[in-house]
Amino acid sequence: MKLRVQLQCKNLHEYLRELSPEVLDRLYDHPATCLAVYRELPSLAKNYVMRMLFLDQPLPQAALALWVKIDSQKDHDECVSVLAGLRLWHSQQLQGGLQGYILNPVFKDNLRIALLGGGKAWADEGSSLGPDRHARDILSLDRYAMERWEVILQFMVGSPGAAVSQDIALLLVQAGLMKSEAGEAPYITSAGFQFLLLDTASQLWYFTLQYLNTAQSRGMELVEILSFLFQLSFSTLGRDYSVEGMSDSLLTFLQHLREFGLVFQRKRKSRRYYPTRLAITLAAGVTSTSSTLATPGTGDAGFIVVETNYRLYAYTDSELQIALVALFSEMLYRFPNVVVAQVTRESVQQAIANGITAQQIIHFLRTRAHPVMLKQTPVLPPTITDQIRLWELERDRLTFTEGVLYNQFLSQVDFEVLRDRAQGLGCLVWQDVAHRVLVVSPQGHSEVKRFWKRQKSTT
Amino acid sequence: MASDDINLLVIVVDVNPIWWGQQAQRETELTLSKCLDAVMVLGNSHMAMSRTNKLAVIASHCQDSHFLYPSKSWGAGDSCEEDASSSGDGKYELLSVANNFIAEEIRKVIAKTDVTGNSTDTLLAGSLAKALCYINRVAKDHEVGQETKSRILVIKAAEDCALQYMNFMNVIFASQKQNILIDACVLDSDSGLLQQACDITGGLYLKIPQKVALAQYLLWVFLPDCEQRAQLVLPPPVHVDYRAACFCHRNLIEIGYVCSVCLSIFCNFSPICTTCETAFKIQLPQMVKPKKKKLKQQT
Repeated sequence: MKLRVQLQCKNLHEYLRELSPEVLDRLYDHPATCLAVYRELPSLAKNYVMRMLFLDQPLPQAALALWVKIDSQKDHDECVSVLAGLRLWHSQQLQGGLQGYILNPVFKDNLRIALLGGGKAWADEGSSLGPDRHARDILSLDRYAMERWEVILQFMVGSPGAAVSQDIALLLVQAGLMKSEAGEAPYITSAGFQFLLLDTASQLWYFTLQYLNTAQSRGMELVEILSFLFQLSFSTLGRDYSVEGMSDSLLTFLQHLREFGLVFQRKRKSRRYYPTRLAITLAAGVTSTSSTLATPGTGDAGFIVVETNYRLYAYTDSELQIALVALFSEMLYRFPNVVVAQVTRESVQQAIANGITAQQIIHFLRTRAHPVMLKQTPVLPPTITDQIRLWELERDRLTFTEGVLYNQFLSQVDFEVLRDRAQGLGCLVWQDVAHRVLVVSPQGHSEVKRFWKRQKSTT
Repeated sequence: MASDDINLLVIVVDVNPIWWGQQAQRETELTLSKCLDAVMVLGNSHMAMSRTNKLAVIASHCQDSHFLYPSKSWGAGDSCEEDASSSGDGKYELLSVANNFIAEEIRKVIAKTDVTGNSTDTLLAGSLAKALCYINRVAKDHEVGQETKSRILVIKAAEDCALQYMNFMNVIFASQKQNILIDACVLDSDSGLLQQACDITGGLYLKIPQKVALAQYLLWVFLPDCEQRAQLVLPPPVHVDYRAACFCHRNLIEIGYVCSVCLSIFCNFSPICTTCETAFKIQLPQMVKPKKKKLKQQT
């Protein structure tokens, strides 16, 4: 039985924490990144930053500890560690020998700029180019963005007619979402299936993370493209921006973003671009996972109705969505605008065998729930969610633990002495008294072995 | 799910021209423009905190209350104006647009003012009512499954006006019913009405000791929303002046006469309630009459 590969979607914090301190410090040199990082902080930490934003001297730790009530001390400690982990503040010795905190000066200056103005403009706005003759409205941008994104998903499920560039295909393989064998077209992996069931914002974020991980190998400057990405996510929908003053590697990045549908550029050589809704929700979609991200107009609005009798109605004509629903249900009928399916034990277990988890199925159903379903709480009938989880548990009857077997004890006393010792160390995994057999975890093995040798030499 | 809730902050700024004029003559440490700067800092910080945070600013004048942001001229013909206004610096675009709107609107309000007659009191109750209406509209607009949490912050400069007592109380109870917090930041003299408002709705009341540090006080005390307030140590509640204003002369009284039908308050006795027109008959001999009748029936 193969161990399941779980698709891990890190959030922005976890990602930033893994970056080296120098990279972080350089990142904070742009107002947009500071704002994005600030938004992702826990709400208590946000208040801390705001309170200290206009202080130029370090603040004693003791004074800081008095800010919170005693019963939320745990949240306070968490905030302190998060802020220190992201290098947003550091401790400094005060004059009286006390420890104090001071905000990272680069971060402080740039957050002030983002809030109150000053400094350089983020990006050259399209105004220098004059009004665009081919100006785009928000609706057409939304449509464009969704089309581009769907093409990538279609390509992943291997629908004919969906073609993507070499770069994207390579990226999908590198991300582990698809596998390709020499000379063959790439095909989808179990991680890929899990990826398909995520909501658009999470998909986008996961994909972007993968892109960033490989960015340095493409000779791109990580700091540069990250700040550009954050800058995009704070731009205004339906407005044009100019590519003036962008470096070559940023221009290539822009072309990739164009292919994902994050920005709209009329022609490759066009001097202006429009960020789409996908780009703008990018930084927002990291932590929140509820259905509200399925913004109207992105074509991602809810279309699934699930009934307590395990019937599933999907009001869609998109091949992709139907294929996704079919991953974990049995198709019954198809009509021009709706498909009817049945969620059964076999179909769910089939999906779970493919590496999809029950949680992902439930999440998929919830995020794509029809507006009518959204009105009831909980959104999905509890019988359905419970049953899907139970079906998953059916497969999880075995758990695997590594261990070292001790057997062939000569006497019951020997066995019991060793067993008690292992139990005392907390490394006993399993024992069988009748057959004088016991299993010890690998960590405890050396200790137990040493004990046994000593024991034998003394007797 | 909590992060998806819309957090709406409505700031009501008292822009009473008389008070601010006197203030400017007396001392120059806090002028109206500095106060509005502080309000903008608070608004910007609020909007920067989360994508779902919303802001509205209302100027409470002595003749009307005016929406500074979002303003009525928002939709019409703003495209050219906006291009000119998004100043070429490192400020977040949304914030710079909002700030420019606030500055533009306040200029309009001040310019068109001509203080005539004797209405010199700030129409605070009216502004609060407007804020409640706006909150109601936003709450109705939101998508299914999203919740709106709203609060109102009043920045109060001029004196209380007992004339507005009734309207004020109605606003307070309406917001209590809607679970809307009313916070008050008082610049000058304590306001009994706002103390009651904050106490009833569960908001914070703070009379700031140093006017120069207004922005820091706002960020420190009024930026956290109600969830974070539960965790933070904040100024303790003040002693609330619960005196009511009588309906006849609008005086604040501690002991008075109350109509037994409509609960209107009067500072001296009147035989007919002016609100519900009940006539009070407090004659004892009437009690005797039915007894006599009963006695007759029995015999």
